[in-house]
Amino acid sequence: MSIANMSESKTEIPYGTLDLLILKSLETMGPMHGYRIARRIEQVAENLLRLNQGSIYPALMRLEQQGWIRTEWGVSETKRKVKFYSLTKAGLKQLRVEIANWENTTALVARFLEAES
Amino acid sequence: MNLRLALHRLLALVRKRRLERELNNEVLAHLELAEKDLIAAGTSLAEARQAARRNFGGIEQMKEDHRDHRSFPWIEVLLKDLRYGLGGLARDPGFAIVTIGVLALGIGANTAMFSSVDAVLWKPLPFPEPERIVRVWEVPKPGLHNGTSTLTFLDWKRQNTIFEALSVEQATKVALTTGGEPTRLAGNLVSADYFKVFGVQPQIGRAFSPGDDQPGAPPVIVLSHAAWQTRFGGDPGILNRDLVLDGEPNRVIGVLPPGSFDRDVASFWKPLIFAPEQMTRGSHWITTVGRLRSGVSMQQAQAQMNALRASLAKLMAPWKKDWTFGVEPYGQLLVGNRLRQSIYLAFGAVLMVLLIACSNVANLLLAKGAGRRKEMALRAALGATRARLVAQLLTESLVLCVFGGAAGIAVAYLFIRAAVPLLSASLPATADVTLDVRVLAFAAVAAMTVSVLVGLLPSLQISLGKLTQTLNQSGRGSSGSTAVLRRIIVAGEVAVSLVLICGAGLLFKSLVNLQQVDAGVRIENVITMSADLPLAKYPTPDSAAQFYQAAVERIQTVPGIERAAVSQDLPLQGVRGGELMFVRGFTEPLVVRFKRVDPQYFRTLDIGLESGRGIGDRDRAGAPRVIVINHELARHLSKYFHIANPVGQEVRMTLPGYGKNEGSMQTVQIVGIIHNEHTGDLQAPVELVSYIPLAQIPRQDIKIVARTLGDPSAAVSAIREAVRQIDPNLPLADVRTMEEIKQRNLTWAKQPTWVIGAFAAVAALLAALGLYGVLAHAVTQQRREIGIRMALGARSADVLSHILRNALSMVVVGLAIGLAGAFALTRFMKSLLFGVSVLDPLALTVACVSMTLIGLLAAWIPANRAARLDPMSALREG
Repeated sequence: MSIANMSESKTEIPYGTLDLLILKSLETMGPMHGYRIARRIEQVAENLLRLNQGSIYPALMRLEQQGWIRTEWGVSETKRKVKFYSLTKAGLKQLRVEIANWENTTALVARFLEAES
Repeated sequence: MNLRLALHRLLALVRKRRLERELNNEVLAHLELAEKDLIAAGTSLAEARQAARRNFGGIEQMKEDHRDHRSFPWIEVLLKDLRYGLGGLARDPGFAIVTIGVLALGIGANTAMFSSVDAVLWKPLPFPEPERIVRVWEVPKPGLHNGTSTLTFLDWKRQNTIFEALSVEQATKVALTTGGEPTRLAGNLVSADYFKVFGVQPQIGRAFSPGDDQPGAPPVIVLSHAAWQTRFGGDPGILNRDLVLDGEPNRVIGVLPPGSFDRDVASFWKPLIFAPEQMTRGSHWITTVGRLRSGVSMQQAQAQMNALRASLAKLMAPWKKDWTFGVEPYGQLLVGNRLRQSIYLAFGAVLMVLLIACSNVANLLLAKGAGRRKEMALRAALGATRARLVAQLLTESLVLCVFGGAAGIAVAYLFIRAAVPLLSASLPATADVTLDVRVLAFAAVAAMTVSVLVGLLPSLQISLGKLTQTLNQSGRGSSGSTAVLRRIIVAGEVAVSLVLICGAGLLFKSLVNLQQVDAGVRIENVITMSADLPLAKYPTPDSAAQFYQAAVERIQTVPGIERAAVSQDLPLQGVRGGELMFVRGFTEPLVVRFKRVDPQYFRTLDIGLESGRGIGDRDRAGAPRVIVINHELARHLSKYFHIANPVGQEVRMTLPGYGKNEGSMQTVQIVGIIHNEHTGDLQAPVELVSYIPLAQIPRQDIKIVARTLGDPSAAVSAIREAVRQIDPNLPLADVRTMEEIKQRNLTWAKQPTWVIGAFAAVAALLAALGLYGVLAHAVTQQRREIGIRMALGARSADVLSHILRNALSMVVVGLAIGLAGAFALTRFMKSLLFGVSVLDPLALTVACVSMTLIGLLAAWIPANRAARLDPMSALREG
C-alpha cells in the first residue's frame, strides 16, 4: 500500500461529531487555544482521522454562540495574543447529552449489524 | 433558533469588522504555532511553512464558512443591496424624484382613502363593547323601521330582561338666550339611561341620574365637549351655571369628553320627561337606542322582543296587527347603502390609480433595467445566481417604495386634512378619519406590495432573458422583449384609465340628468330659514298660528320681497312624518306624507293648482278640516280606491296634536289638487302628499320661505329684522337659498362624481406619462434608424405618422381591454346612477375619444422630435 493510499484510508470526521470532539477535548485538557485543540484531536485520533485544522474555527464560533464554551484572551507560546477556549457549565451538560446520543446511535447501529444474520 | 443565538448573530452583524480581525489573528497564530511545532520536530523552515498551511486546509474557504454561520447572511446581503440601491438613487436623482413622487401620490391617496373606509365601515364604533348597542323599532313590514309610542316604549323598558339600558333619543332645537344674541342650538332629548347605552362618562360633572327624567325633576343638561369649548370658551365654572333654553333656565351638570359626540349635530342632551298627555299608544314618535346585557345575543334579544309583541297584542291598534318589534345593531344603521357604495367605489378607483402608478414606476425601472442588462449579465457571468440578482432588484424597488411610502404617509395626512371638512357632513358622526395605527399599517403593507409589483417585472426580465447573450450583443439598441413588455404595460395603463374615465363619464351624465329634474317648485330667488317656537311662549295652537300670520305679513312688507310663506318642511328635504288615511269602504289605510303649509306656500313656490282650491285664510282653527292633495295622491286614489274626482270627497285621517298633545282621528274634506312637488330626493319617485292648513294644526318647528326680486341672500338681514319685531328672542337658523338646498340634495351624487372624476384625470395623466416615456425612449433608441430612413427619402410627415401610429396601436389595444373592463365593472355603480344605463353609448364614446386624444397628445412630443431629426447628425453619431 502506497503512502498516498494510506492517507486516503483516513476517515473524514463523521458528520456532526466535531462539536463532540472539541467539547470532550476541552473537558479533558482544560482551557486551550485553537491550535492546541486541533492538535489534541489529531493526537487522540492518531492517524485515523483526516482533519482540516482550520475547520475547528467555525465550529468553535458556533459553540461559543450557543454558550457551551467561552473565550478568554491569553498569550501563546509564540508570544501572540490568542483566544483560549474553555468549557462552560452549559457546555458540560451539552457534552453529556452528546455523549449519550452518540452512544445510543452507535449501540443502535451495532445491533443492526449484529442482527444481519 | 433560540434567543441567545439570534442575539449573538445580530451582534455579529454589528461587530463584523472586529470579528474578521480576530479571525485573521487566530489563523496567523495557529499557523505560527504549527510551524514552530514542525520546526521543533526537525522540518526545514520552508517545508514547515508549507505543511502548516496544508494541515490547516483552505483558509479562505474556512473564513467563508465562518462568515456564513456566525451571522444572518441574508441580512448582510440585504444591507449590501440596500446600500447599492441607495447609491443608485443618489446617482440618478431625477429618476428618484419622479418614481418616489409617483409612488407617494399613489400610496398617499390610497392611505387617505383607506382611513375613511376604515373609519366609516370597518373600525368598531368608538364606544365600549359597541356590538351591544342596538336600535329597537316597531316594524310595519320586514325592512321598514318605525318609531314607537310612549306606552309601548315604557313597556319595553319595564318588561324586558335583555337590556342593560334603554333610552329614547329625540332631536330638538332650542333658542339659547344666555349671553347676547339668541342662537339656535341643536340637542337631544333622552332618557336618564342614555349615556349608559353608549358607555360614556362625562369628563367633568355627572351624567343623568335615574330621577332626572321623572315628572317634577329640575331641568338639567349635559353639554358636548365641542359646545363647551366653542360656545363657553371651556369655562371651568360651566357646571352649575344655568343656561336659558327656550326661556327656561337649565342647570349644566356635566360636560362630555371630546370624541365622537362632538361630530354629532347635538350640542346638549336633556332628559325627556313624558307629559301626561303623551302617555298613549297613538303617536309613534319615539326613537329608541339600547345596550344589551353582556352575553345576550341578537337572536335572544329578537326572541324576547317577539314574545313582548305577543303579550302586548291586545293593546295594539287593529290596523297594526301585522307590525312586529325589531332589534338591530346600532352600527349597521349608521351607514346607508349609498354611502357604503360610494366609498367602496372611490376605494376601488383609487386602487386603480395606484395600479397605474405602479405600472409607471415598473416601466421606468424596465427602461433603466434595459440599460443595466450588461451589468447584470456581467454579475451573472461572475457567478451571481438568478435568485441573487432578482433579490437585488427587489431590494432596489423596496428602497424606492420605502421612500415612496414615507412620503405617501405625508401626502395622506395632507389629503385627510383637506378632505375631511368637505366630507364630514356625509359621514356618520362615529367615523373618526385619522392617521391611526391601522392606517399606518395599511400604508406599510401597500408600500411592500407595491415594491414587489414594481420590482417583479424588471426581475422577470432578468430571469427570462438569456443574460450571457447580452454580453455578446452590440452596445446599442434596447432588447426586443423589454420593448414589448413596456408596450403591454402602457396598454394596460390606458385600459385601467379608460375604466375610470367611463365610470366618471357615467356619473357625470347622471349628475347632469339629476340637475335637470324638475323639482316642481321655484328654485331661483327663494330664501329659506328655520325657527322653533318655544312651547313656553307659544302654549296654544292659536298663539303659534298668530305668529305665522304676523311673520308672513311683516316679511312681505320688506322691500325686495315678493311673497313669503311658512311651512313645516321645505321641498327636497323630505317631509317629517306620515299619517294614515282611511277611505270609506276600505279597511286598509293609506300611508301619506303629511305636510302643513300656510295659505301662501303654493304661490310662493309656484306650485300650480290642478283643480279645486288651495289652502286659504279661512282654513283656521275651528273651521272645517280640509286638505289639499298632490297629483300623485289623486292618481293613487282614483287607481286603487276608485275615486275619480277626489275634490269634495271626505276621508278620515289621524291628525297630530300641537306641542305634547296626542293626535286624533278626524274626518277631513279634500278641497283641491295641486301639481307634484318633489318633497324628498330628486331621484326618488314623487310621494303621496296631503297638505294640511298649518293654522289648523300648527307646529313649533317651522320653515320660513321668501321669494325675492333680486339676490335672495341680500334679503336675509331684513327678514331677521322683521321677525325680531314680532319676537325678539326667536333665533332664525339654517339660512339657505332654494338653490343651495337643491345642490345639497345632490351631494350624494356630486361627491362620487368629483372623486371618481379626479381619480380618472390623474389616471389618464399617468397613463399619458407612461406612453410618453415609452415613445421618448423608443425615439432615442431609434435615432439611427430614423436617420437612415430620412436619408433614404422619408419625409418628416412619414416619421411623425409612424410614431403616432405606434402610439395609437398601444392606445387601441388599451381601449379594447378597457371597454371590456368597463362593461364588467360599471354595473357595480348602477345604484349611484340616475337615468343613465351603465352601457350609455355617449358616455363610453366620449371616454374612448378623450383617452385617444390624451394618448395622441402624449405621443406628439416625441413624434415631433423624431420628425425634426437631422438625418446627417443622427447618422454621424452612430
